[in-house]
Amino acid sequence: MSLTDRIAKGLEAGWKVTDASTLTDHQTHEADVVIIGTGAGGGTTAEILARAGLSVILVEEGRLYYQKDFKMDELTAYASLYQEGMSRVTKDGAIAILQGRCVGGSTTVNWTSSFRTPEPTLNYWADNFGLENLRPEAMKPWFDGREERHTVSPWLTDPNLNNDILRQGCEKLGHSWNVIPRNVKGCWNLGYCGVGCPTNAKQGALTTTIPGALDNDARLFHGLRADKLVMKQDRIDHLVASAMSADSVTPSGVKVHLKARHFVVAASAIGSPGLLLRSDIPDPHNRIGKRSFIHPVNATVAQMPEQVDPFYGAPQSIYSDEFNFREGVDGPAGYKLEVPPLHPAMSSGVVPGHGAEQRDNLKLLPWMQSVIALLRDGFHPDSPGGTVSLRDDGSPVLDYPVTDYLWDGLRRAFHTMAEIQFAAGAERVRLMHLDSPWLNSWSEARAAIDELPMELHRVRLFTAHQMGGCGMGEDPQQSVVNGFGEHHHVSNLSIHDASIFPTSIGANPQLSVYALAARNSTRLAGKLKG
Amino acid sequence: MSHPPHDQETLSAMDRRSFLRAGVGGTLFLGTVSVTAGLSGCATTPAGRLDAADTPVDDGYQFQFLTRDDIELFRALLPAIVGPALTEEPKQRRQAIAGTIERIDQGIVQFGPANQKELRKLFDLLNFGLTRITVARVWSSWPNVTTSEADAFLERWRTSGIGLFNNGYIALTKISNVAFYGHPEHWHLSGYPGPPEWAMKSLPQFNNA
Repeated sequence: MSLTDRIAKGLEAGWKVTDASTLTDHQTHEADVVIIGTGAGGGTTAEILARAGLSVILVEEGRLYYQKDFKMDELTAYASLYQEGMSRVTKDGAIAILQGRCVGGSTTVNWTSSFRTPEPTLNYWADNFGLENLRPEAMKPWFDGREERHTVSPWLTDPNLNNDILRQGCEKLGHSWNVIPRNVKGCWNLGYCGVGCPTNAKQGALTTTIPGALDNDARLFHGLRADKLVMKQDRIDHLVASAMSADSVTPSGVKVHLKARHFVVAASAIGSPGLLLRSDIPDPHNRIGKRSFIHPVNATVAQMPEQVDPFYGAPQSIYSDEFNFREGVDGPAGYKLEVPPLHPAMSSGVVPGHGAEQRDNLKLLPWMQSVIALLRDGFHPDSPGGTVSLRDDGSPVLDYPVTDYLWDGLRRAFHTMAEIQFAAGAERVRLMHLDSPWLNSWSEARAAIDELPMELHRVRLFTAHQMGGCGMGEDPQQSVVNGFGEHHHVSNLSIHDASIFPTSIGANPQLSVYALAARNSTRLAGKLKG
Repeated sequence: MSHPPHDQETLSAMDRRSFLRAGVGGTLFLGTVSVTAGLSGCATTPAGRLDAADTPVDDGYQFQFLTRDDIELFRALLPAIVGPALTEEPKQRRQAIAGTIERIDQGIVQFGPANQKELRKLFDLLNFGLTRITVARVWSSWPNVTTSEADAFLERWRTSGIGLFNNGYIALTKISNVAFYGHPEHWHLSGYPGPPEWAMKSLPQFNNA
């Protein structure tokens, strides 16, 4: 393996990394802080605390995959790097959930879009959840710092055609658009961010904060599932975790107990509420798992006259916020417009159909272009979000009802996306909807979108951004943690991931998680050192 | 026997209500099917390794999730789901279908227990004679189902007004489409040339293989 690979080099140099599937005996370990989860939140926390001289143990349910494993292959990547082998869905099966499960979490598989939390979102939090200290001016230094740490800057290379068509359509229609800031260093512009960056260009947790923490003596257990936080009086005493077998699906039977002064949960907006619920963490107002948000996503595909090759090139480089906050922060549902990469396995799973029709649709892949809308949920009384609860086996599941308010937004988003694609020269457009035919003109599409039923399962819905479920706020009756991610009732518990967002973000959330985790970890380090 | 009418006509409003009452996602109803299926002789254990006589791909693959009945189900459904994209040459066609079923099994193993349980219920419902006929409206056992009958079944579930059936349609076609079109040997069907050659030549992880 290349000696430039940060992980390979670190492992050789003696990083304290344990693959829990190799453990044969029950065991107990102790540190100042145990961090559950190694994604955007856990990685940031680990590096800051370890650099402050605290002893840190990181726990990751997924396995450690790095450059040697990233071979630009969809089927392998979906099976190994994503939650439930890419089959995760909401409780009724109507919304597909894309979420990482590996060291680095979703930052290992995301498409590198790195937006600051929009100012209207931060101000909405201050006005509605008492989070005065998170106003844009207060958060600015944290965004600055994290953009530097993760090498975030607008993508200066020409967008691929898939993205440029979004730009062209917006230009024609007079919609605003802009270039997406990406967290990459020396990117080869290949297009495989979603299956693990093959060149180590992506500056997610895997190549930045995790190595930073391990360099500073942090200890990482991967393939280790956090089962339960065990309380002793009013504090958490230890974490009980199960080693997973090498298949990463079945527990091996080996139990690991991890003791610490402080526990940081950063197991995602589905995993964190799940762990807290399994642990019977005090929740007098029944807030854990409530107000879960997902940026519900719908999509259209267009057949373009020229070859698009939507599988190559930086997957996301152009976006439009024309419709995101246009009706006010708390008006009818706003949406951000972006573009997804289209590879064969993903496309064949996203484009609904079978038989000759499906064959003929997929044959068009090189000429296909797609636009997605990400709905900003959680800013309106009719968008209260979903609920994370536990299945009989203790695993977390998200129930997400799609309200009429959201259907209205989804229908408007279909209109916008189809109009943009036709404006950019699309020959035909199809909605990702069980009943949608190919539509041959904007007027035909407009009529069809007004007629098609906006119903679960018929409209194909997705989420790549899970947020909330352990919301922050100053009022303990309305929230799980305060504005520093500190649990309202358990003094040695913090939550440092997207689960603390009181609404959705209105933009891809990774930089929001990095920045808040950095701010809250810096404070935590001060407290624990002091 | 008179020809079975379309499910949307057959399932009266009352049927539909009781179906929905059976629990969100039909969990309760399907759960009962799983138990019944087990008691009535449906295969309930993973198929393991198939006999050479029973598979056109004798690669020693060990099925870890799909039962022999599930394999029959997919042998009947895949010609309708991905058949039109396959060669007509019988041996290659059978091999492509067998390989796809193996990849479906591999994929489901990584889905983990919760979604495996959901799929178990779906497959049992389709394999168990009584529910295959009454719910899926498929009159022959799967090995005797023609491609056009399989296609008609898929269309019924796709166009049904019942979300549970739409969900079943998506589950069956999605795992099949991904396992088929996602396989490198089938990339050409979607005009995908694969990862750029120049990048693979320059990257260390491709040179160690």
